[in-house]
Amino acid sequence: MKSSPLTRRHFLKTAGTVVALPALESIGFRRFASAAPLMARPKRAVFLGFGWGVTEESWYPDAKVTGADYKLPPGLAPLARHQRDFTLVQGLTNKFANEAHWGSTFWLTGANRFAEPGQSFHNTISADQVAAEALGKDTRFTSIQLGSPDAVGNGHGPGLSLAWDRRGKPMAALDNPVLAYHRLFSDETMPLEQRQAVLAQKRSVLDAVRADAKRVQRGLNKTDTDKLDEYFQGVRDIETRLSKDEQWLNVPKPKVPLAEPKPGLAGRDEIALMYDLIVAALQTDATRVITYRQPVGSLLSSLDLKIAAHDMSHYTTGDRLEASQKRDVAQSTLFAGLLDKLKAVKEPDGTSLFDHTALAYGSNIRTSHYLDNCPTILAGGGASVRLGQHLVLPRNTPLCDAWLTMLHGLDIPAERHGDSTGVVKELQA
Amino acid sequence: MSTRFLILFIGLGVLRAPAAEAPQARLDEKHRAFFKDYCVGCHNAEKQKGKLRLDDISFGIGTIENAERWQKILNALNSGEMPPEDETQPEKARKTEFLDDLAGTLVIARKVLGDAGGQIAMRRLNRREYKNTIRDLLGVEIDVRDLPADGGTGSFDTVGASLFMSGDQIEQYLTLGRRALDEHFARAAMSEETFKARTEAEVLGNQRMNNNLKRLKDGHEQYARWMAAVEEAAKLPENSKLAAELRESTKIPSMNPYDGRRVGLLFNNKWEVLKGAPAPQSFGLGDAETARVQELEHIYQLQYFTDYMKLPARDTGAWLGFYFAYRETYVAADAKWPPGRYTLRMRVAANEAAPRERRFIEIGQRTPDPKDVTTFSVFGAHQVTATLERPQLIELQVNVGTDSFREFALREKRPNSRTAEMGLFHDHFAQTGTGPDPAVWVDWFEIEGPHDAPRAVTSFVPRTQDRDGVREVIGRFATRAFRGKAPDAEFIDRLVPLAEARREAGDSLEDALKEPLSVVLASPGFLYLNEPASEKGPRRLDGPELASRLSYFLWSAPPDDELLVLAQRGELHQPAVLTAQVDRMIADARADEFVSGFAHQWLGLDRLDFFQFDFRLHRAFDDSAKAAAREEVYQTLATLLRENLPLHRLIKSDFVVINGLLADYYGLDDVSGDAFRKVALPAGSPRGGLLGMAAILAMGGNGKHTSPVERGAWVLRKLLHDPPPPAPPNVPQLARLDAKPLTARERILAHQEEPQCASCHRKIDPIGFGLENFDAAGKWRTEDHFEKGAVRKTWPIDAAAAFHNGPAFKDYFELRDIIAVRANTFARSFTEALIEYALGRPFGFTDEDLATAIIDRARQQDLSIRQFIHALVSSEAFHMK
Repeated sequence: MKSSPLTRRHFLKTAGTVVALPALESIGFRRFASAAPLMARPKRAVFLGFGWGVTEESWYPDAKVTGADYKLPPGLAPLARHQRDFTLVQGLTNKFANEAHWGSTFWLTGANRFAEPGQSFHNTISADQVAAEALGKDTRFTSIQLGSPDAVGNGHGPGLSLAWDRRGKPMAALDNPVLAYHRLFSDETMPLEQRQAVLAQKRSVLDAVRADAKRVQRGLNKTDTDKLDEYFQGVRDIETRLSKDEQWLNVPKPKVPLAEPKPGLAGRDEIALMYDLIVAALQTDATRVITYRQPVGSLLSSLDLKIAAHDMSHYTTGDRLEASQKRDVAQSTLFAGLLDKLKAVKEPDGTSLFDHTALAYGSNIRTSHYLDNCPTILAGGGASVRLGQHLVLPRNTPLCDAWLTMLHGLDIPAERHGDSTGVVKELQA
Repeated sequence: MSTRFLILFIGLGVLRAPAAEAPQARLDEKHRAFFKDYCVGCHNAEKQKGKLRLDDISFGIGTIENAERWQKILNALNSGEMPPEDETQPEKARKTEFLDDLAGTLVIARKVLGDAGGQIAMRRLNRREYKNTIRDLLGVEIDVRDLPADGGTGSFDTVGASLFMSGDQIEQYLTLGRRALDEHFARAAMSEETFKARTEAEVLGNQRMNNNLKRLKDGHEQYARWMAAVEEAAKLPENSKLAAELRESTKIPSMNPYDGRRVGLLFNNKWEVLKGAPAPQSFGLGDAETARVQELEHIYQLQYFTDYMKLPARDTGAWLGFYFAYRETYVAADAKWPPGRYTLRMRVAANEAAPRERRFIEIGQRTPDPKDVTTFSVFGAHQVTATLERPQLIELQVNVGTDSFREFALREKRPNSRTAEMGLFHDHFAQTGTGPDPAVWVDWFEIEGPHDAPRAVTSFVPRTQDRDGVREVIGRFATRAFRGKAPDAEFIDRLVPLAEARREAGDSLEDALKEPLSVVLASPGFLYLNEPASEKGPRRLDGPELASRLSYFLWSAPPDDELLVLAQRGELHQPAVLTAQVDRMIADARADEFVSGFAHQWLGLDRLDFFQFDFRLHRAFDDSAKAAAREEVYQTLATLLRENLPLHRLIKSDFVVINGLLADYYGLDDVSGDAFRKVALPAGSPRGGLLGMAAILAMGGNGKHTSPVERGAWVLRKLLHDPPPPAPPNVPQLARLDAKPLTARERILAHQEEPQCASCHRKIDPIGFGLENFDAAGKWRTEDHFEKGAVRKTWPIDAAAAFHNGPAFKDYFELRDIIAVRANTFARSFTEALIEYALGRPFGFTDEDLATAIIDRARQQDLSIRQFIHALVSSEAFHMK
């Protein structure tokens, strides 16, 4: 590529990794390009949901031993080296959750499925999207939703990702690592003028479909107007994205120390790769909010466990319990690897990416058909959560209290989220 | 229903007045006493424990708030949290009754509260309809798997309220529409020329097998020379002690084929410890590990490959084998050939000595990645009945897209995983010392085409090359794409410049046109089945609207010319015309879309794909058998529909609709070939009806073992119209029984120990027991066993049980008879599903009268399936927005 002032980039060599940052003079970086104080490193949020819960006997620490000096049970053993850097919270529940197979639908929303008269399904905005509205302004991607083609029967429930928009509609996910890689990091090969022309053309396309939408809208009743409003909103979303594309037109996508992923990865390798993409996306500041709805069934297959995910979740002693526990260990190992990587990426001010990222890791399902005491691990320094503790809250504390606490920690002064009743003081550092 | 009250205030004119008084779910007053005994003591006006007061709660559940309170009560009881341990506990039977009624009443309450009052929400095309609509409009088949899956909240994919739209999706429609147009124009520009490529199987087959054999022999020779040299070294005095130890430690414990590491490979990985022993590399081998694997291959495959060389007809064709033998034949459409429909044709024969169930070929595709030898998507299986003396031709049609993978594969039908393939080979090896004899022989495999699109393609070519021509063709295209509704001038005004901009950029007229046309395909007029409605109340559909509602119901596709012409002339509304059109549509092949789309969702067939079937326990239930089993459900329903037969044939019937593969599977004689057809059953056959179908039975298990619970719940839901409430959260787990040698029945009966479980399982489980004579893949069996390590227990199947508060049955046949007698409940279940699917909204209480009217009319003709459809299509509701 021809070097021009617009595309020149600053390379930082850290911990054996070459990190390329977008041009510092570009929009979004202005804020900290100058001699910004250390505190000004951007905050990021990552939500990881794993559908069918955990093995409660071997994943939860003894509820009587709280605080910093608790013993990690076998299901969390792979996380031992990070024990000071995450907090495990017990007692959290989404009080409206009644669907025993829906581990993700309401996990970040806390909504009541039946809240809307005349409707059999209703949802509200998820915590990640609340975060994205604030944290996503200055990045190329407001938020990124990751998923897996292996979603059906994985205990996630309805939805296309963990994310639900402001109107409670499901948001689509990038379901395969190759696609996600290209969306995040592949540059258009087209010359600049041509790309500008394409953007202009795309705007004309939107104007055209909007004209037809107005025709269709004539004479619709209220329900149908609401339905068609999804289309209008979709058009507006694309427009917002185009405006961002325009702002970022001159900034090449960041180079990452990752090769294009091999197609066809499934299960453990797929999750590991998605975790690498998450680190790379945060590291290059492509986005600051990421959700990932993880596969479970293909994880089991990749561990050579020949058992359907739902059957595994109803473990009894024997094969199924063994599979359930192996699943826990595999998930904890992967998560520990993610934390390693976040810690290894150094920020320009000498802190690590981990210090500026808030991670939530869990599911709406505890185990089997249990929906109370949702498995919840909070990690990273992004939301100023007090780390290194085992916190047992009163039974049925709203899970949304934890999300609200996270949002406040991310400097988002939301009054409430879902059915929250307030922040969890014990979580605040 | 007897103890649950549902008060319905539905007047006669309900279809015209959806705003009739809301029905209300009500918990039976008889539970007042239970409530008083165990709840109100602590939760009353004075003593509001946990800040909860229950003495004033209404038993009529008419508001969302009240439903939430009751849900909490149900959850507290289910989780065992209430009544508290130190309080008096209700006796089990009473608690069971209470839970049963409360759970059921809440389901009704949710339904009532969620009732859309008969309103049909505008909806977009679902994935199936989108694909079919593009096909009918442009004559091309596109891959729609990139679009998000529809539904997911448990309703049909035609229900508008659960079909969403997003920016991402609009962009996908633009991309897919563009792809479809590219292909459309490529095909429109296509010459008459057809192309053909043929693979002569013997060329690659012999080459591969010769190479295989040579490689094995050479490798073995090298290995033998190396081992002889190592043995020489072992004889040296300084090595003797070490060598003796090594010999001892590598003694062959067994010929266990799964553990190659122990199969007689003396010294192999330890050669280095012997002084003076030469390295394998000096004999032309790789490292010791590679050499070992190579030698193992020799052990396993030499006989197999040698036998292959003695097979007949290798000069004109090739036998298809397993493992590393010649196992697949390929043929590919050249990248330069135009997209379209092609014929795959093959000349094949079977080995008469092979078991009948192996005499099938399977067609499918690998992935474009040549290193990926495991992925294989199966299109289907074809029975091979011919012998070498007179081989047969098999033909099928495939679609070749602009950028789809163009290579097709042919192999013997087998479990679709590399692990299974190798496992089966080794099982055979362990018994016979060689692999299974090949079962099918291929002379050649060819592809030819493209052929015309299945239905005539309207060509969208501008009549003049100028602006007016562009304008005209866009307008014509949009009107067709909008199913007869004209677009606004403003829309066209905005589209014309899109083409012009592309022309200025240097595109040809045709390429430039693709831009605005793909925008049409992402516009609401195309994507939504839009029927304007006024706030004043329901109105009648106009002609084109009715045509669309009809065609998306029965074809999942847009109306054809005949429907549109009748609609424009205002004749489609006439009862006689409508009836004739419905009959015509059912006879049309496009009605298969209704049959499969409806049946798949109604019967919950997606569960078939939730698990892999264990290839050792259920060898014959591979992907092709699974596909055929699923097809049996569709073909049976289609036969009943087209032959005007009654619905209850789906419960009990003296015939099945199967092909050769399923006939083998069911052990029925004298049926061969791939075509599905009606086959009369011998007396006493357990087949005939859904309960005897492999697909239905296989869903009621986990690929390994049966699940009487899944099966029982399915029967209650689908056949008996008595669905159990959704699995409740937070019910304490059962005592852990897994490792104990209990019969399936003993294991499941433990469910009924606790009231929280018993309230549903007492209804579910007995039905499941009655189906235990079918194994997890739907084969008939008379005994079952438990195996765990050294513990093994076998027991004869006992299918006798009794319905909860109902009749007893001594076996499967009696169970089926009892269900068959309840044809009316089945008709109800079917009708509700049909209404939901056709009208695109959840079946609500406002539809009760409609359902009754439909069943009454169908009953006049012995519940003929076709009459259900006629009754629904001619109902007021079907004509109203």
